[in-house]
Amino acid sequence: MLQVYDVTLRDGNHALRHGLTSDFVRAYCSLAERSGVWAVEVGHGNGLGASSFLVGKSRENDASLLLAARETLTNVKLAVHAIPGFATIKRDLVPALELGVDVFRIATHVSEATLARKHIEFLAERNATVHGVLMMSHMSDIPALVQQAQILKVSGASTVVLMDSAGHFVPTDVRERVLALRESLGVEVGFHAHNNLGVGVENAVRAAENGARVIDGAAMGLGAGSGNAQLECVVANLGRLGLSHPPLAGVLPLSEAVQGEFADSLPRVTASSVESGEAGVFSGYAPQVEDLARAFGISRSELWAEMGKRRLVAGQESMIREIAQDLMNL
Amino acid sequence: MPNDPVRVAVLGTGNIGVDLCERLLRDPDFEVVALVGRRAESPGLRRFENRIPMLLSGGIEEFLPVCQRVEGVFDATSAFDHLRHWTALREHGLWVIDLTPSRVGDAMVPALAGRISEMQMENRAQPANFSMVTCGGQSAAGIAFAISQRAENIAEVEVSSSIAALSAGPATRANIDEYIETTESVIAQVTGCPVTKAILVLNPADPPVMMRTTVTVKAERFDLGSITEGCEDIASAIRKWVPGYAISVPAHEVSSGVLSVTAKVTGSGYYLPPYAGNLDIINAAAVETARVHAEATRSNSARN
Repeated sequence: MLQVYDVTLRDGNHALRHGLTSDFVRAYCSLAERSGVWAVEVGHGNGLGASSFLVGKSRENDASLLLAARETLTNVKLAVHAIPGFATIKRDLVPALELGVDVFRIATHVSEATLARKHIEFLAERNATVHGVLMMSHMSDIPALVQQAQILKVSGASTVVLMDSAGHFVPTDVRERVLALRESLGVEVGFHAHNNLGVGVENAVRAAENGARVIDGAAMGLGAGSGNAQLECVVANLGRLGLSHPPLAGVLPLSEAVQGEFADSLPRVTASSVESGEAGVFSGYAPQVEDLARAFGISRSELWAEMGKRRLVAGQESMIREIAQDLMNL
Repeated sequence: MPNDPVRVAVLGTGNIGVDLCERLLRDPDFEVVALVGRRAESPGLRRFENRIPMLLSGGIEEFLPVCQRVEGVFDATSAFDHLRHWTALREHGLWVIDLTPSRVGDAMVPALAGRISEMQMENRAQPANFSMVTCGGQSAAGIAFAISQRAENIAEVEVSSSIAALSAGPATRANIDEYIETTESVIAQVTGCPVTKAILVLNPADPPVMMRTTVTVKAERFDLGSITEGCEDIASAIRKWVPGYAISVPAHEVSSGVLSVTAKVTGSGYYLPPYAGNLDIINAAAVETARVHAEATRSNSARN
């Protein structure tokens, strides 16, 4: 059975500049509860413990958002994203466990899975459902990807999720990677798309067709950069292809709730997001890149390209200013 | 230092231990009497044949009977072993510079020695145990302190560092939570602000990236000009032992009441490559601490 994993209230928080409120979490979760999605992920855009000057301060803290979701969800699982280096076991994972989070996604840059080992082991020992996540997965070739996924599996992750954090993949890339992981790993595979090049939905559906068990999507695509795979479109496509899926009538209210509440923040494919997808740079950097290009009077597309050239990973917001400075002084 | 060189031993033959020895052997203020490992065939030990008089492969047990030949010890083993080492070395009256994240000793950031009362190197309970905290702590604490002296009512301090993935060994990776806790605690200590946040990002880019640390402070009132000067002062003090330490993005306001400064750390390349500025800054701080503390301890005993 395919699991549709709703990241609206986490990745979508990037699009809201981390301004999500517990009121909206409550309203959304009560709709999600009747939608047939498998899990709802809640929190700051970079996950637990990531509210910071570097990435952006949360309007409401992790605990308050998670509590609102926990009070509302019973059938649908409550999930969180956590990146070692931002989140720690003691400060973030333990309270989330105590609060009753069902699914933990522990995420690292695609080549740095060893950073997640302790966190995954800790959660697996406590019988939590753990997904290991490889972010920016376009930055490694397939053998390296498989090797890193193996580290997550051995640590105790039941599912390995590939994130196309930069929205750089074309559908063929997704197919090759999902197949490679399924063949060599013996764990479930998940896929998380970004829509920078306009193929977010197609990439998500391609992953499902090739046996990925967990498919991420966001209502109205609400997510970093040009957004995620639009959840309701993913569901409709799965239906057309005859793959298992939640009922369309269940997820469309989620779409309407987001459209009604965040009409001004909805992600779009823009020149800037295409530039970032093409350069292979983390989608979440869009607000900083656009602000700094304007402030320094430099070309936005050159800034994206230079960031791609310097192979920035997620969490390096403070480098953007230095690169902008360098470009200005050229 | 006009006196004889300070006689020291190094425990641990990994990257940190080897880099320390290379550094100390080039420094006329020091004499490396012993390097202590656990395996005779360890490449770290063999590297120093004919360069360090005692190359011991029997661990601390083999070292203790001869430990009176040194004045102090650098411990570059592991947090777990450090506690055991310190218990033994302290009985022999030896000062210890701890490069593990054990936090057994007192946090020491030599850039702040004499500027913060707890971080003085003189008049300490003997023998002293100095904890070199973390690379993020060493690279950020000076800047954070400089800002805290020139800003009013600081509400929050954040320190984010990015380092080359190649420079983070298995121990660093396994201890990333401890890294965050230790860094947050030393930043709280030097700024007096209890609300601190540390972030660490590993970047696998090839060629490897130089370490960068950004300090961001939220405060009611501050003067960017004087903060810029203060940060440059601290940076030039740190450059005495880490020549590749520089402010790469000077103090600027990121949003109302929030200011940010970034430093870049290029390693000296003694043994570890220049991108390992994170390891370099800790080792350089350790050597500097030993130099000043040994001199203070000697002049103390000369007076007594």
